[in-house]
Amino acid sequence: MDARQDEGGQYGFERLMEEVEEIVGRLDSGDVELDEALALFERGVSRIRAAGQLLDGARGRVEELIESAAGELSSSEFEPTSGRNGQSDGE
Amino acid sequence: MPPYGAEAVPGASPETAVPVAEVNGAVSRLLEESFDPLWVRGEVTNWKPHRSGHRFFSLRDDDAQLSCVMWNSDVSRLPAEPEEGMQVSAFGTLGLWVKRGDFRFAVRRIQAEGEGLWRLAFERLHARLKAEGLLEPARKRPLPRVPGTIGVVTSKSGAALRDVIAVIRRRAPHTRILVSDCRVQGEGAASEILAALTRLVDEGSSDVIVLTRGGGSIEDLWAFNDEELARAIAACPIPTVAAVGHEIDFTIADFVADLRAPTPSSAAESVTEDEAVLRAELRAAQSGLVDGLRGRIRADAERVRLAHGSLAAMMNRMIDERRSRLAVAGGRLDGLSPLGALERGFAVPLGESGRVLRSIAEFRSGDRFTLRLVDGSVMATTNEVFVDPAAPPPGRAST
Repeated sequence: MDARQDEGGQYGFERLMEEVEEIVGRLDSGDVELDEALALFERGVSRIRAAGQLLDGARGRVEELIESAAGELSSSEFEPTSGRNGQSDGE
Repeated sequence: MPPYGAEAVPGASPETAVPVAEVNGAVSRLLEESFDPLWVRGEVTNWKPHRSGHRFFSLRDDDAQLSCVMWNSDVSRLPAEPEEGMQVSAFGTLGLWVKRGDFRFAVRRIQAEGEGLWRLAFERLHARLKAEGLLEPARKRPLPRVPGTIGVVTSKSGAALRDVIAVIRRRAPHTRILVSDCRVQGEGAASEILAALTRLVDEGSSDVIVLTRGGGSIEDLWAFNDEELARAIAACPIPTVAAVGHEIDFTIADFVADLRAPTPSSAAESVTEDEAVLRAELRAAQSGLVDGLRGRIRADAERVRLAHGSLAAMMNRMIDERRSRLAVAGGRLDGLSPLGALERGFAVPLGESGRVLRSIAEFRSGDRFTLRLVDGSVMATTNEVFVDPAAPPPGRAST
């Protein structure tokens, strides 16, 4: 697993947004103490910030997954050839 | 008597009789040299698999029958084995099975009418997978709406990959694309596709996997009808989208994947959400959060306001109560005040030290004392003292 997993888990953005929704729900219910409400609010803000960072990061990264002769997997930057047609691979 | 030498021609006489193997070998060579490989049309009958993997069968029409064999290595290239009675064209070489002396046709390829065998293979595998429940709609998993990494199984030189990358970059530029390269047609493509899929699963960072290639003939797309690949897609722990060929093309991979997309581009669309939509959601979540907190604080303020109101009311009640108790007490006090008595015309005698003189015992003839009245005092002198026999003894006067 790479570092992305730590940032927001597998479905990072969605999970973060779900958490924010849950926080808003609790705030709306009104049965939280004020100091707890403030703590919830802060947590919500940090989740929204994290979700925003997910959208900002790693723009357009394309990597190719390669298996070495020893069977080890690694990925490296991959720049797709533009314009060249994929010979016999259909369109 | 035959001329000399004729006896020396093999097979010309009992003396020059030829061994069977030589005859069969000669006929076999003759057949192979006389006929180029050719297509033969007929109906398949008695199709029998041998434990060696070869297939023995016959081609026939109304008037004749031709014994055929198809070697194991050629059988493995058939999309499906033909059914009894199926009209086919078979390509191969005519020859003789030396061992048995049987004349037979060694078939390399078989084509059924139209795309018969492909269709047949497709239908058989489809039916088998369906019977196993692998095509059930209930098995389809939802795709992640905002995957962090999209794995793509395809040829890295194909246009399908370029389309997929273009769509993802446009709609969700934050997404990482992980390409697992494989050939997508030709011999061995199915196992390459399978290996590419397995690599992505093993690597593990993909949130969803797209298997795709562009359009082509049914033979070009055939690798995506492979049974082993189909089972691997069905068992894939990561949700899958298949987009093989054009809108009109359906492969087994399309049926077992969690989603079938008509084209590579639409596959890419189905695994991305437009970034603008996500940003709008972020903004909405943010204002929801702020409103939530504001509402919470407002609720508190309202509670304080209510509490304040009832506190004030309570205090007012307390004050009113005290005040009325005070009024009652004041009234009672008035009744007890000596000033009241003086007002009604009573006078109080006070001794020299201002002490109230309560008894005749405190008066002696000639003593001076003061009489306190309501509006002032009178200096007086005692002339005579009389005892009231009915009066109570002094010292018990009440206040």
